[in-house]
Amino acid sequence: MTGRIRNPWVVVAAYNEAPVVGSVVSGIRRAGYAVVVVDDGSGDRTGDVALLAGAVVVRHPINLGQGAALQTGIDYALEQRADAIVTFDADGQHSPAAIAALLAAIEQPGIDFALGSRFLIGATANLPVARRILLSAALWFTRASTGLPITDTHNGLRAMTARGAHAISLRQNRMAHASEILHQIAQSRLRFVEVPVNIEYSVYSLGKGQRITDALTISIDLFARRLYR
Amino acid sequence: MIAQLLLTALLMLVLVYAWSAHRTVPIIGLLASGAALAGLYFVWVQEHATALAALVGIGRGSDLIVYIWVVISLLIMLNLHLKLRLQLDMITRLARAVAIDRAKESRREKGPPRKRRAVMLGRKAEAPPIELRAKK
Repeated sequence: MTGRIRNPWVVVAAYNEAPVVGSVVSGIRRAGYAVVVVDDGSGDRTGDVALLAGAVVVRHPINLGQGAALQTGIDYALEQRADAIVTFDADGQHSPAAIAALLAAIEQPGIDFALGSRFLIGATANLPVARRILLSAALWFTRASTGLPITDTHNGLRAMTARGAHAISLRQNRMAHASEILHQIAQSRLRFVEVPVNIEYSVYSLGKGQRITDALTISIDLFARRLYR
Repeated sequence: MIAQLLLTALLMLVLVYAWSAHRTVPIIGLLASGAALAGLYFVWVQEHATALAALVGIGRGSDLIVYIWVVISLLIMLNLHLKLRLQLDMITRLARAVAIDRAKESRREKGPPRKRRAVMLGRKAEAPPIELRAKK
């Protein structure tokens, strides 16, 4: 590891991902990074497979959701004195090669977040039209509500410095966490950059991904969260 | 008169509920207080309820009071929903603490990663590499 980052950790939130999580963890380990997999109360052997592949496994006793699992992984990594944290999807659509690019971005002075974007250079394979429309609507909503000039709102590939991670406290347990992170980045006034990343959609990852109806649930979650302390 | 007293007692209870809700969900406390106070006013000054009902096209003052009661019920339901979310927040924090503690304990039990030792000819390795064993 060069530069000021000495102890990066990769956080993978996984729920019933036994068929793919082993290869995902192996890829990250081969790239030379410590990885913590948060097994979010899976009913299959996700945790065991991740452990065998070389990850540290933190197991939620019950299923809480991806946002809760990511926050657990971030908390664990910070306890291990991580100075940089990368969030990475468990369904195999991300490439471990992107981790180095994200970490290089937050090594720049004053940058605390690097957000992966699949739309910066059109770096996206097999993105269905319905998914593209859904992401465009989410992008419009997030730009309007946060004021952040971003190009991709729901990308699971992100890197943050320890200072950035301390500024994040996810309370949206489920899918709305992606918007919540951006709101908290905007509130923290810490600087971010976007990094082009490639997303490889497969039949498996599309089957696990968000649906149009999830957009309504996310909107309700974000609205309800504003009503209480 | 009996109905007025009964409604007054119920609306006073709603006011107490609104005050307690105000601490955790301020918007619900405010709206429920407003609706309960409006209800109290119309219960005792019914001719104003009738006049307001006619103005907004409801018809009768008693219908207006029923509608206000429906609004209060919906606000209480929303408050219960938000309370459930708060409970989920607490459960999440608890589950997270348990998960992280267990992971740390598991790593402590394993100890620091062992250095690979050269196996001497004619002698078995003392223990298999523990980091490759999954818990059953």
